[in-house]
Amino acid sequence: MTPRLPSWWARVRSRLRPPRTLKVTRIGRTYLVVTFGVGLGALNTGNNLLYLLLGLLLSMVVVSGVLSERCLRYLSVRRVGADAAFAQEPFAFRWAISRGQGHAFALTLSEADSPLTGAGGVGYLPAGVDHVVRADLTAPQRGPVRLTGVRVTTTWPLGLFAKTRTFPLESTLLIYPRRTYACQDPGAPEQGPVGDAGNPRRNDGNGDLSGLRELAPGEDARRIHWMKSASAGKLLRVEREHEERRTFVLTVADGLDAEALERRCEEVAALARRLIEEGHEVGLDTPEERIRPAAGAAQERRLLRALAWLGYERPRGDEEAA
Amino acid sequence: MRKGTRLRLVLRDLGSGSAFASMAVSGQLPLWSLVLYGVALVVALAGRRPFANRVKLTALLLLAVALTLGTNVLAGSLNLVVAACAFAGLISAQRLLSTPDAATDGQVHLSGLLMVAGGAALSGELVYGLFLIVFGVLASIALALGVVESAVPEGEPVPVRAVMGPLAMGVGFAVVGAVAFFILFPRLNWNMIGPGASPGLGVATAGFSNTVRLGGAGTIKDNPRIVLRATLTPDPEKETLDAYWVGRTYDVFDGMEWSNARATSNGSEFMTTLRPGQENLVHQHVELMPAYGARTLVALETPSRLGNAVANTQVGSRRTQIHELGGGEVRFRDSGISYSYEAYSLPPGASGDDVQDLPPEEQDSLLSLPEGLDVRVGQTAARVLNGERDPLAAARKLSAWLQREYSYTLELSGDVPDPVADFLFQRKQGHCEHFATALTLMLRTQGMRARLATGFFGGERVTGGYVVRAGDAHAWTHVLVPGRGFITVDATPPAHRASQSPRLLEQLINFYEVVESQWRDVVLDYNFRDQLTVVRSLTRSHEVPKKDAPPSRAPPPRAFGAALLAAAAAYTAWRLLTQFLSRERPLEATRFADAVEAQLASARITRVDGETLEALDARLARERHPLSPALTPVTRRYLEARFGGRPLQQGEATRLLTDLRRAVLTESQRVASEGTRPPQARAS
Repeated sequence: MTPRLPSWWARVRSRLRPPRTLKVTRIGRTYLVVTFGVGLGALNTGNNLLYLLLGLLLSMVVVSGVLSERCLRYLSVRRVGADAAFAQEPFAFRWAISRGQGHAFALTLSEADSPLTGAGGVGYLPAGVDHVVRADLTAPQRGPVRLTGVRVTTTWPLGLFAKTRTFPLESTLLIYPRRTYACQDPGAPEQGPVGDAGNPRRNDGNGDLSGLRELAPGEDARRIHWMKSASAGKLLRVEREHEERRTFVLTVADGLDAEALERRCEEVAALARRLIEEGHEVGLDTPEERIRPAAGAAQERRLLRALAWLGYERPRGDEEAA
Repeated sequence: MRKGTRLRLVLRDLGSGSAFASMAVSGQLPLWSLVLYGVALVVALAGRRPFANRVKLTALLLLAVALTLGTNVLAGSLNLVVAACAFAGLISAQRLLSTPDAATDGQVHLSGLLMVAGGAALSGELVYGLFLIVFGVLASIALALGVVESAVPEGEPVPVRAVMGPLAMGVGFAVVGAVAFFILFPRLNWNMIGPGASPGLGVATAGFSNTVRLGGAGTIKDNPRIVLRATLTPDPEKETLDAYWVGRTYDVFDGMEWSNARATSNGSEFMTTLRPGQENLVHQHVELMPAYGARTLVALETPSRLGNAVANTQVGSRRTQIHELGGGEVRFRDSGISYSYEAYSLPPGASGDDVQDLPPEEQDSLLSLPEGLDVRVGQTAARVLNGERDPLAAARKLSAWLQREYSYTLELSGDVPDPVADFLFQRKQGHCEHFATALTLMLRTQGMRARLATGFFGGERVTGGYVVRAGDAHAWTHVLVPGRGFITVDATPPAHRASQSPRLLEQLINFYEVVESQWRDVVLDYNFRDQLTVVRSLTRSHEVPKKDAPPSRAPPPRAFGAALLAAAAAYTAWRLLTQFLSRERPLEATRFADAVEAQLASARITRVDGETLEALDARLARERHPLSPALTPVTRRYLEARFGGRPLQQGEATRLLTDLRRAVLTESQRVASEGTRPPQARAS
């Protein structure tokens, strides 16, 4: 068992050796090669000007490390999140970054250790400003993406090295299935048009009021608006809008392999979107859950979320993702 | 182009220009490369990139230029370093004129880096240091703006002002760090090879030739460039030396120009003695600068010995021989851009030469007069001397008369049939060659031996030594005084003997010389001994001990500081080494397993196909195999290292393998002693 270090020593250690990762950029690699060559030339020839140049090159490396470290200090990052993230298409994702003191330059933000690709940048971050950084991220496939932290990278000041600091921020981002064109037919609706469309004696609509007109011979007398008829001195009937709302229940069969499941989820998501846009009620029947048919954007979001979780272990309470 | 991008590109281009200039100040780059790069820089600064759509074509042109340069290098007509520098400049020019994207920016900066490195190899000029700093600053700003620009979302301005403050601080620290590195990094090679000499910019103007023709223009007197730098021992410690630095003498005058009766050359040697020396010789360490441009050695009047010459060329410095010509001229055998040598001169006064010591042809020529010399010259001399027969007194009398009756001018009428008569009886004004010629000839008309001497007059003190300018070029008269030798008599008015260049210009050049002298001492000639001096100054006390107090043996506080710094550096190095040695190696467990299996194979333990190490260990344990007790801990440790997140400690693998090897050896000996086959493992 290692002896416990004094807290001050731990603080000093953490200050001297902060958790950072350093990557040499392309120009940085060439810079280091040139520096090595100049050093070799200086040692070989004893040319003091080459020693001076070598000193300048090495000092720039050190200064580069110090300035980039200053950039990454006193930062705080939080996720603002995304409105809706669909697989394999860029979606807007936002972080809010601020700095307690000093200023930072050339910061690039991305999600650490996640399959999300893309990054957002901020050129100059003064102290005390909550700056929202927007990035177009792309997820390769649907499902929950566990976000462990936000990676803040800077190549300041010379672009020779990319120094990265990772801010641990646990969260989950739910990626909806890829938006495609629904090629398949949704199948027969569970229910036909709601209302009187099937009754030849009631072949007008049952939706919102659209107007009044004189009652024609043979029309249903129950449609007469008696008060207006009395005032007009003739029989006037109510006209209502026709409604063609049907109810569909889309299904995802059990036992599909991974690829087929993905394809089915994308198909169902596309169908659901199309049907809901047409005003129908759409439900979902999957091996894991059943969603009652309903219409509207909220229902579409419920369906997409259910499809996104399909095949994954859902956390308790199904909390809304980041 | 968004705000800030234009500025960045201009800074980038100017930085590249500075890098190229750091090479160009050496004066060694071919003229065509200077022109090509200059045109490219101007076009780039104007914001035009004509090579944007011609990348392949221009790359092919570069290839052709590279082949041409390579051919010239192989043919020996071009120095390799110069060719490489010129090519780096052309690459940079091609990149300057290409589309300014991130890759191009990086290539421009890196080619600039190569150019400053090339400049360091080509020259040691102070101006190089200035261009190095300018390049560092401009390239750093351009790089930083590029980094910020890449992170700024499209459409937003680049925060140029905000970048400057932190960057200036960073560059300042980098310069301090560079100086610290320069001072402290050990010079492992003792600075045996310095930078090659470079001719620098400007035309060399020493004015030494085999003849001196009267009537030429005197524009050299306006030239403030430094041609000679000398350190004297003993040091006269005067601000203005006002001494004659003789290069050569002339004894034959044909009415138009001076020449020598004897032009033969003696054999070459490293040290030549012109006349016997005495004990109180004045030692001079002389450097002839690139502005000198001649191969004649110069020394204080009157030179005794010359030698230990070194010629500095573009490829380095080498010792060179010297040889003596007529007129007391000593020349370097090899040509170089600049030279350094040692000279010993007699103390001011007479040369000690006797007329019999001179070659016969020179003895006669000291009294020779040109045919058709105007008779008024001799008459005037006789009238002025008024019966004075002592050569030195006569020379001084004539000199005083010339200074009194004639005026000094650099504006001449050009070639005339008889320049002496023109000077003495027509214009009555001239420059130093006219005064010296008139005095010499007037003395000769009166039967007194004399000759013309040329060289420099002056010497300004700069940082412990003396410098002589091109404008200090001068001519004077040597009068042969029986029993004393040649004595210098100068007929030129004293106010016009030294350089006639503007005072302000001289002061500026003096300032430059002081800074360059510091640059040479502190930067170019810095070596291991200097480093030891720095370390001593850090660790030794400079306090003067009090008279009554016992001498303290405690080191000064800065010694503790230096020790602390050294300890911190050692600790850091140790920590880095420890971390490196104890770093996690992803394949260490696999390599360990391979080593174990190799040992098992040497023990002739048979394994079925696909049998893992843990399965083999379990089987051997079931069979009560003698190797099982040694193999079990090894297998367990391997599994922990491979899958259990407990990597092998440093040296642990070696220890485990040693134990296993020992067990395998014991088992082999046992089997051999029993003469039986070793047990065969069977697949379970």
